[in-house]
Amino acid sequence: MADKIKILYIDDEPDNLVGFKASLRLDYHILTAVNIPQALSCLENHPDIKIIFCDQRMPEKTGVEFFEDIRISHPLPVRILLTAYTDVESIINAINKGNIFRYVRKPWAEADVISAIDEADKFYKANSMLAVKNEELQKAYNELNKFAYSVSHDIRGPLSGILGAINVAREIDDVEEMKEMLFLMEKSLKKLDTYILSMHDYYSLQRGELKVTEVDFNKLIDELKDIYIVLARTNNVAFNINIKQDEVFRSDMIPLILIFNNLLSNAFKYQDKTRTDKSVDVDITVERSTATIYIKDTGIGILGSHIGEIFNLFYRANSQEVGSGFGLYNVKSALLKLNGQIEVNSVMHQGTTFKVVIPSI
Amino acid sequence: MEKLSFIIIDDSELDCFIARKFIEHTNRNLTVSTYQNARLVIEQMRKSDLKREIPLTIILLDLRMPVMNGFQFVDDFEKLPIDIKKNYLIYILSSTRNTNDIKRILTCATVHGMIEKPLTREKIIKLIADIKDGAGN
Repeated sequence: MADKIKILYIDDEPDNLVGFKASLRLDYHILTAVNIPQALSCLENHPDIKIIFCDQRMPEKTGVEFFEDIRISHPLPVRILLTAYTDVESIINAINKGNIFRYVRKPWAEADVISAIDEADKFYKANSMLAVKNEELQKAYNELNKFAYSVSHDIRGPLSGILGAINVAREIDDVEEMKEMLFLMEKSLKKLDTYILSMHDYYSLQRGELKVTEVDFNKLIDELKDIYIVLARTNNVAFNINIKQDEVFRSDMIPLILIFNNLLSNAFKYQDKTRTDKSVDVDITVERSTATIYIKDTGIGILGSHIGEIFNLFYRANSQEVGSGFGLYNVKSALLKLNGQIEVNSVMHQGTTFKVVIPSI
Repeated sequence: MEKLSFIIIDDSELDCFIARKFIEHTNRNLTVSTYQNARLVIEQMRKSDLKREIPLTIILLDLRMPVMNGFQFVDDFEKLPIDIKKNYLIYILSSTRNTNDIKRILTCATVHGMIEKPLTREKIIKLIADIKDGAGN
């Protein structure tokens, strides 16, 4: 059963509290307070209170004054006023000052209270959904801003480079010079292509449901290995793989492959070119429905002051190699989707180890 | 005007290459050095020997770069002693259309102007002509 709706009832007459609780406690989580300080401490201790019932006539304060007081500090709970008196003045005050959702006449009938709770619960849900949606929208807008900003650099940059190169080509007679430039033009276009591919990854990670299948890490790595073995050979990097999986692991292949591809290509890309003992180690252990993956390189390392930012969209910590600033951001989004965690450990000039923990779904 | 030299700071190798070629083709006597990491340039400037005469140097600076971007470079540059700064003229060379970025960088005292990418021969010729005019005044 879903959690019971948490309701706070404030009344200076203990008998009312007892009666209220007795008739509603089976269906709802009822908290009671006999005075204002008790009510406030109850609100502090239970931030998930959804509905507050408050008596209007109390010795220290009226119910409306109490609601007015907590309007800023506790904006979320829906307020319902209980009162035996129905003078127009207090109704107007309640609505204008106390942000009251409903009135329930005293002595209350159980049916009235229950219908008020139902309505209040719907109202609360609609409000909190709106808050969640707003937050999502804000996040989407922020990313859109970053996109718009990056378009001029990451798309227009390589294109204006190629245009510039075509201009220069008209003045170059030397074939070797021309070849050098063609090589650089190719590199620039490849960068643009990678950027567009990662943008596609980015988009597909944000949308779409999980497609859960059984994952055999040996098979998965076998498929990825071919590309990286070529890289390992041409760059003289030892590539070691160690997989221990004796149980079924279930996850979505697409984000999983994306995580491996990004971390592995980084591990090869950011090697320390001056080293002779270059290596990339992949270690995967599946135990108790959890996959723990280590990807360790002997690369240039990441400065401590940059580590906090490497998972941000479009952040790049290094100018040595071509990067789009998408890779690790996409890794983080993929892990969010799979409910996984990532940790980084890096020592400058010695290497970087990424530890990824993913639960079986 | 006697000697003029250029420093190009851009994380794109291709853009460095293009700028170098245009400058060299305009005048064979101009010296050009290129850097993909702005921090290296600042570090070298900090170490530079104040007594040695160096020719007036034009810096073509990209804005968005990893490690140290154009804004950070200008910030650090402005903190250098005047005897070092006086040898350099900074011009921004960028493909950005972001008006905030452009306004912000052009208000820096040591930034003399901006050239929009893609670079062309005409833009280089005009830049050199402007600097010679400025030096003549």
